[in-house]
Amino acid sequence: MEERESRAQRLRAAAVPYLLLLPALLALAGISLYPTIDGVIASLHRYRYGRDVGFTGVDNFAAVYNDAVFWQAIATTVLFVLLAVAIETLLGLLLALLVARELRFAGLIRVTLILPMTIAPVVVGIIWRLLYASDIGVVNPVFEFFGFEAPNVLAHPLTAFLGLVAVDVWEWTPLLFLIILAGLHSLPQDPIEAARVDGATSIQTFFHHTLPLLRPVLLVAVVLRTIDAVGTFDQIFVLTKGGPGTATQLISIYAYNTAFLFNQYGRAMAMLIALLACLLFLMAAAVHLMRRGSEIVE
Amino acid sequence: MTARERLGAAFVYLTLGAAIMLALFPFWWMIDTSLKRPVDIFSGVALWPQQITFGNYYRLFNEFHFGSFLLNSIVIVTASVAISLVIGTLAAYALARFRMQFGVRRMALILVLLVRMLPGILLCVPLYIALANWGLLNTRLGLILIYAGLNTSFVVWMMQSFLEEIPRDIEEAAMVDGDSRLTALWRVVVPLAAPGLIATAIFTVIATYNDFIIALTMTSTPDAQTIPVGVSTLIGKIEIQWGPMAAAGVVGALPIVIFALIVQRHFVRGLTFGAVK
Repeated sequence: MEERESRAQRLRAAAVPYLLLLPALLALAGISLYPTIDGVIASLHRYRYGRDVGFTGVDNFAAVYNDAVFWQAIATTVLFVLLAVAIETLLGLLLALLVARELRFAGLIRVTLILPMTIAPVVVGIIWRLLYASDIGVVNPVFEFFGFEAPNVLAHPLTAFLGLVAVDVWEWTPLLFLIILAGLHSLPQDPIEAARVDGATSIQTFFHHTLPLLRPVLLVAVVLRTIDAVGTFDQIFVLTKGGPGTATQLISIYAYNTAFLFNQYGRAMAMLIALLACLLFLMAAAVHLMRRGSEIVE
Repeated sequence: MTARERLGAAFVYLTLGAAIMLALFPFWWMIDTSLKRPVDIFSGVALWPQQITFGNYYRLFNEFHFGSFLLNSIVIVTASVAISLVIGTLAAYALARFRMQFGVRRMALILVLLVRMLPGILLCVPLYIALANWGLLNTRLGLILIYAGLNTSFVVWMMQSFLEEIPRDIEEAAMVDGDSRLTALWRVVVPLAAPGLIATAIFTVIATYNDFIIALTMTSTPDAQTIPVGVSTLIGKIEIQWGPMAAAGVVGALPIVIFALIVQRHFVRGLTFGAVK
């Protein structure tokens, strides 16, 4: 009798961690697995005027595959992400190296530089709409002041695309800056000092010592930013809605329009599942890097 | 200082000065525009309002429902953050303190990271269909449930690393003294983890307050629309209302900027999702 009781107690004690974990796991599964399954089902159905009119097999996927606009949106997204993330990484690295020295007001400089990434992306869109506006903005007058033609940024395909890259750079360089700065602070100083004592120039020290040591941090930062950049939506929705024409139509904007403007939920889901398949590779890399970085390996 | 060092220092401060100008000027242009009268907005680049007016803000609350948007945002942010802090901290405690079997721990952490990384647009379509089935479209409850789930991923990830820094001996001593696991957690561990808990709460607040795409797709009237959605409604108009639009941007950004200035020390860890300590 006693033995059974203690066994029951042991069992109960062993169940505690799983019970503590359960609500969160349910919430997380409810917000990720459930919609994913639902989404897969939706992608196999046909919608008309937003209503499910039955199973169609892989028709949606075939339609997406044969859709030139879809591939154009993918190309635009890839170009946007590569350009933005490359510029952000370089600028973030430069700023971090400058701030990592002993500076007066380092704390104040840091908080000022990261303000753009803290506010809502919608507000970022508003801010740049006000700057780019052809009638009340600042960008046109600045160009005219220096003797150039007013660019009317959002009115032409190429300038609109570059203008959106610039917005992304303004908003997200601070993230790269912040991660790289924290990485620089946590670097072991000995090899860098030793190199300097041996008479290496600061450029040599940087490329031979600082950069290799910084690589793991840099990698996490770039992968995380890349994943987020692929999903860029808010600023573009506010600034151009994908236009002029389809010049700034990233995959997120195209999928949104397909789902909520044309009510083709199945078609939109097929698109997004294709996107997810591409992203999973990057996500797996990120999971691997972050698990290693955070000492939580079992 | 040698001439060369002085030149180097000048370069550093000039570059940083330019970076700070580029970071801040866009904010100022928005604030500046929001305080101008309509005629002044169209009278060329003026870096200071010709005549300061709060008319744009007045119109925001009287014509454009910003009172409702603000209330919705406050209710939704508070409720979803509270829910996610409770269930997320419990889970983080389990992950930080117990050995688990069947790879539960690994699965939980991967799920946490996955939820953090899924782009919003990917969740929108299926969640829209789900909320439609449950009659929760255009309700605050629908948004609260979604955000509570999304925030939980953040809370588990952050709190787990904070809780691991707290020595076990302290709560074990409390349990020897007769506390149960949960009372020890509440009386001993949570107060010690308070700084981490506060930092985590701040970030979930910011992420929820700033979210746009989910609120945009799940709501359609000022009954449930949040501030960012409200801001975007000003753009859809045939004639763009620059003044109120700028004021809306200020209202959308202000709480977060104030937050950022107050809690800047705790910022790095949250903004980078714990990618660095």
